[in-house]
Amino acid sequence: MGRQLIYVIAAICTTMTAVLLLILTAEPVANAGGSAHPVFAGMRIGGDGLARLEYIGTLGYAFQALLLSLIVAFATLGVSERHRTPRLRAYMIATLVFSVFILWRMVASHLNFIATGETSYFMGFPAATAWAMYGVWLGGIPLVLIYTLGFRQFIYTDEDQAEFERLVAETIAEGRENENCPKDAR
Amino acid sequence: MEAYRQEIILAAVALYMVFCVITGLWAMRRTTDASDFFVAGRGLGPIVISLALFSSTLSGFGFVGGPGLVYSIGVSSFWMITISTAGYALGFFMVSKRIRMIAELRNCISLPDVLAARYGSETVRLLVAITIVLGVMGYLATQILAMAVVMQAILSGTAMFADISLVACVAISSAVLIFYCVTGGIIASVYTDVVQGGIMMVAGVLILLTAMSVFEGGMTEATSIILKDDSEAIMPWGSAGIMASLGWFFVFGLGLAGQPHLVTKMMMNRKISDNRHIFPLSVMGYVLAALLWVSIGIIMRATVIDGVIPPLTLPDDAASVFLSVFTSPLLAGIVFAGLFAAIMSTSDAFLNIGTAAIIHDIPKAIRGKSIQNELLWARIVTVILAIVAALFALYSYYADATLVALLGAFGWATFAASLFPVVALGLNWKGATVPGAVAAIVSALIINFGVQLAGIALPYGVSGGLLSFVVSLFLFVNVSLLTKPPTLDRDIDRAMDI
Repeated sequence: MGRQLIYVIAAICTTMTAVLLLILTAEPVANAGGSAHPVFAGMRIGGDGLARLEYIGTLGYAFQALLLSLIVAFATLGVSERHRTPRLRAYMIATLVFSVFILWRMVASHLNFIATGETSYFMGFPAATAWAMYGVWLGGIPLVLIYTLGFRQFIYTDEDQAEFERLVAETIAEGRENENCPKDAR
Repeated sequence: MEAYRQEIILAAVALYMVFCVITGLWAMRRTTDASDFFVAGRGLGPIVISLALFSSTLSGFGFVGGPGLVYSIGVSSFWMITISTAGYALGFFMVSKRIRMIAELRNCISLPDVLAARYGSETVRLLVAITIVLGVMGYLATQILAMAVVMQAILSGTAMFADISLVACVAISSAVLIFYCVTGGIIASVYTDVVQGGIMMVAGVLILLTAMSVFEGGMTEATSIILKDDSEAIMPWGSAGIMASLGWFFVFGLGLAGQPHLVTKMMMNRKISDNRHIFPLSVMGYVLAALLWVSIGIIMRATVIDGVIPPLTLPDDAASVFLSVFTSPLLAGIVFAGLFAAIMSTSDAFLNIGTAAIIHDIPKAIRGKSIQNELLWARIVTVILAIVAALFALYSYYADATLVALLGAFGWATFAASLFPVVALGLNWKGATVPGAVAAIVSALIINFGVQLAGIALPYGVSGGLLSFVVSLFLFVNVSLLTKPPTLDRDIDRAMDI
């Protein structure tokens, strides 16, 4: 995954644009964005969960999966090309799999609740919401670990630091350090 | 102690304001040039940067608007905060290293400076600077107004200041803000952020513990009450539905790396290698502080439904009612001081980048050079900018809120949509071109402004921010792929290889 990564990102962005257009042009559902609470002013209710997802549920899940893929692709793009080793790629793919697993568990728990009206609770929230609340938060933790623990391996190695220090020294020697004036203005 | 609730809250807020003034005076001695004023001479340590970073992310909105949103639409608003881990990750993976490198290589003092160096284009500098100025005006006006409204609510509860006017509160709060921003620049700003960050983390944990004790069955009982009333409100997509939730997930997650007041702070650290510590510290701080947002909102919705307390007049009253009903005066004082700190820290960050755009970037983009004696002008323009924003806030409150509402559209979502591709992708992809950047910025501004001006309600709760962000990303990548890759300056080219 070297220079092709940007084409992967372009494909994801294009697909997301298409999915969003499909959602915007889907059969409308009344109060899909919620409606006023019948008793308490200032509160809104969601109403019929199944009806709201009837035409756009799958598209919404696909949009979220694409977004999770985009996050991982962007994080990989943020790593210098020469450090995108097979090990880094494996970590990034594992991160994506973990995030998609959380999405799947959240969606499955929500659809199960809609079908049965029953839910278990985990740390104060219904199961589906607990996946959204704790799971999504945890979904980003592998990226924190890759960055923090792999900092000197993938992000800013000792060689990178030496190379940057050389670059700064050369820039100062050439007297270009105050030259933040772009070419089209020179 | 209960009898002195208002006085204790007032004392906590006053203490914080005195601290701001003292910090301003202390920082003034460390501010000798424009680089100190705008980027703290790139000499800040990891703890200061991480606290400043997360506390600027969670503005007064996190204290007031956040709990209000949970009260109003349930779990939908959780998506703004649960994405924070991934959002910070993108900021660090994509921006923190390269922005710091280019800042050092070219002595940059602002985000438009860095982008002008990266793209080799004054057009990009001008567009980014204009976007920042527009966004800053909207943000600043709303923050100053929020600060004054809260101050009026606190002061009017005491016998001495029972009749204090909103204008007086705007004057007092703006005066403190102006004083420490003018004297100490970004150095004063980040050190007040440190205290603010500390207060927010402590407040988040204490509020969570308080919230869990409101119902005998803890948070589970609270969420069961909401579930019985309207199950969707406490299910993953909340009352606002799947697309509104995913819109926030998208805009707040990816968009964090496009917020100018945040990424500018990534230029200020002493060493690039400090980023490995700054990242996890920022995430941890944000998560602790965000506990306040979630727990107050859930408890207030449940207690109103359960009849424990009467319905709120406005959803945004959720935090203040919770503090007055369920917390001790001391904790309420800490949280109110935290609220002021949150508003001020976001305001000073915006004052700083707005001033840089006006005195440094716009003149440089138009004339090819910045103005003489930047430090003096930075101080003068900071005062003018804050006064204009304060007048603007008062005008919107008493006469016509349309203009502020319009500029409010230039908030987080517009910065995210217009700047994320240009900053985050541009710093990591040599093929990103000036036409791609211009297309992304212009399309984001037009869509956000257009949707707001025309009052368009998109189906399924899709927001203008989400639409503009998706379109902007699509255009940035595809226009760049279709146009001739630029020839980068040698130093920028080498920095982008590291």
